[in-house]
Order: sequence, then structure tokens, then C-alpha cells
Amino acid sequence: MPAPPAAVPDDPADALAAVGALRRLADRVEDGGVARALADGWSWGQVAEALGVTRQAVHKKHARRLSAAGLKSGDR
Amino acid sequence: MALERFAKDARAVVLAAYQEEARSRGSGAVEAEHLLLALSAHPSLRHLGLDHDRIEQALDEEEERSLAAVGVSAGSLESPTALARPRRPTLATSAKLALQRGLAAAQRRRDRRIQTHHLLYGVLAADHGRVPRALRIAGIDVEELRARL
Repeated sequence: MPAPPAAVPDDPADALAAVGALRRLADRVEDGGVARALADGWSWGQVAEALGVTRQAVHKKHARRLSAAGLKSGDR
Repeated sequence: MALERFAKDARAVVLAAYQEEARSRGSGAVEAEHLLLALSAHPSLRHLGLDHDRIEQALDEEEERSLAAVGVSAGSLESPTALARPRRPTLATSAKLALQRGLAAAQRRRDRRIQTHHLLYGVLAADHGRVPRALRIAGIDVEELRARL
């Protein structure tokens, strides 16, 4: 089935609900992507650059979660 | 939020919304839908017949439909990883609003303590957002439910 063209839905309730859903989706992609990058040996600095945020921001957001998940969270 | 005015059950619901619902879904903050899920599982509201799993399914469905409306399918994406860290619960705006509305409902009825049914009333008071959308999908009549509180 071809994907429907992305457009702003006519019903504003649907459009605004999509914003929330997309933010949650972006968070999930970010969580998975950061975990995978670090597992592949990326440094926090590289991850931060790829996301376009500061190293401190990405570390603050992900370090605890990833160390709890058993992934290394070095300070490189 | 004046949590000291919350009855024991109501506090337990807020904590469960964080520990059992938000964190297990990878969310660091409690949203109104996490309060709804915790309320639906609480024994004090069992007589209302809210089905936790059905609401959970409806929330997933709501997410899927909302993404589909802008041409996005996330079907193959892995589930969010659960947050293991024990931390103080953070309340998102939707949850704060629900708690404030629950508090206002208790005040209107001159109830001294915030009970679980006040919280549910507060959660159901939202006209917009994931809660009313998911309840509609689940076929739950919010007006009828509110009348029974």
C-alpha cells in the first residue's frame, strides 16, 4: 500500500494529536539511535553533533537510562 | 501540587501512574493517560468496569491513527525501552491539569480529601488530548461515566 501524502489533516484535533504522536515517536527513535550509536563505539560528543545538541544535553538526557539498561556510559 | 490533601488511595494512584504506567512505557513524566491507566486498575474504582487492557489498546490505536493522519507508520519500530531508574515522578502538563481539575471537583463537593473518583473526574474533564480520543476509540461513554462518579 503506498504511503498517503503527508499533509496537515483537515480536522485540527487530528493535526494537533499528530504533533504529540510525532514527538513521542521522535523520542523513541532518539532513544534507540543513541543506544545503538554508543554500542557501536560512538562518543557522546559524536552523538551530540549528529543530533545538533550539546554534549551536556545528550548526556543529561540519556546517560542514566543507558547505564540502567546496562550500556556503558563513559564520559568520552 | 498539594499532595498532602490526597487520600492514601489517590496518592497510590499517582505513584502507580509513574511506576507502573509511565516508566514502563519509557516516559519520564506522568501524562493524563498514565493516570487513567492507573485509575482503571485501582480496586476503589472497580465498580465502574474500566478495563485497563482495553484502554491501553485504545491508546496504542490512537497513536497509530494520529501518526497515520500525517502519513507516518511506526509499525515496525521497536517498543520503547522501560525506564529502570527510580526517580521522583515528574508531572506533565496534561497530568497537572487533571489533578487540578480533580482538586477543584473535590472542593466543589466540599470533600476534604482528594479521592480516586475525584482524580478520575479530573482526567475525564479533558475535551482534547489522548484521553478523550482513546476513550472514544474504546467505545467508552465519558458523559455516562462522569455521571456515575
